[in-house]
Amino acid sequence: MNEEQMRLSKDIVAEGFGVIAAAGYINNEGGQAIADAATELISGGCGTLLIDLEGTRIINSIGVSILLEIMEKLLEDKGQLAFCNLTPTISKTFEIMGLVQYATIFPDRDTARSELMGNASV
Amino acid sequence: MKVALHLPVVPNVELVAAKAVETFGGALGMDQTRIEAASVAMVEACLNAMEHGGGQMVVRMSDDGPAGKTSLVIEVEDQGAGFDPDKAPRNSASRVHGCTSKRGWGLTLIRELMDEVQIQSNPGRTLVRMRKYVENAP
Repeated sequence: MNEEQMRLSKDIVAEGFGVIAAAGYINNEGGQAIADAATELISGGCGTLLIDLEGTRIINSIGVSILLEIMEKLLEDKGQLAFCNLTPTISKTFEIMGLVQYATIFPDRDTARSELMGNASV
Repeated sequence: MKVALHLPVVPNVELVAAKAVETFGGALGMDQTRIEAASVAMVEACLNAMEHGGGQMVVRMSDDGPAGKTSLVIEVEDQGAGFDPDKAPRNSASRVHGCTSKRGWGLTLIRELMDEVQIQSNPGRTLVRMRKYVENAP
């Protein structure tokens, strides 16, 4: 697996609910790619964003800092951010850096979808 | 076992060091979660060395300790201006929330993810020495 290359997809799965799947190294470039996808979904009316990190095993603090910026932008707009499929180390890093105070963490995408679909602005 | 890498400052070179942690930690029998924690700490130490170190950095890895208390020891050395580790603040979520700059997490993450951390820093040489036990820290 080429960990340097971020593989990213985004989709609006319901009105107001967008999902970003990101696999690869979350550094400044990877974090920015996620931020760009998030900005596009937010501009498209998504107030609820789920970021699925299945396939992401290595991160750095610069990339996570960019995710913090997305979170603050969503909070300003009264939106919500969630993550799923985090490794224990990424989960701990998010906890240390404060993402878990403002974002919800789900074990997998199915659980996240079922929990969040009711909260999306439909 | 001992490994030494002399790494140039080029984009994503920290992944070379992280890959070495994965291989070395796996050879020591470390589980995947502990390997990944050590890998992220290695990445952060390398990023600090690249940002503040002023040139090539040296990464060393070795195993240490008796059977049952074996640990992976990682050293990252640079030739930067140095800093006072006692005055390096621990970052916190409350400090960065709402601030424009959200940087400055490297040492905080290293200290949280590794079992032991020692920093020696003088003008021209900074050495970050980190230990991760193969099993839970004694």
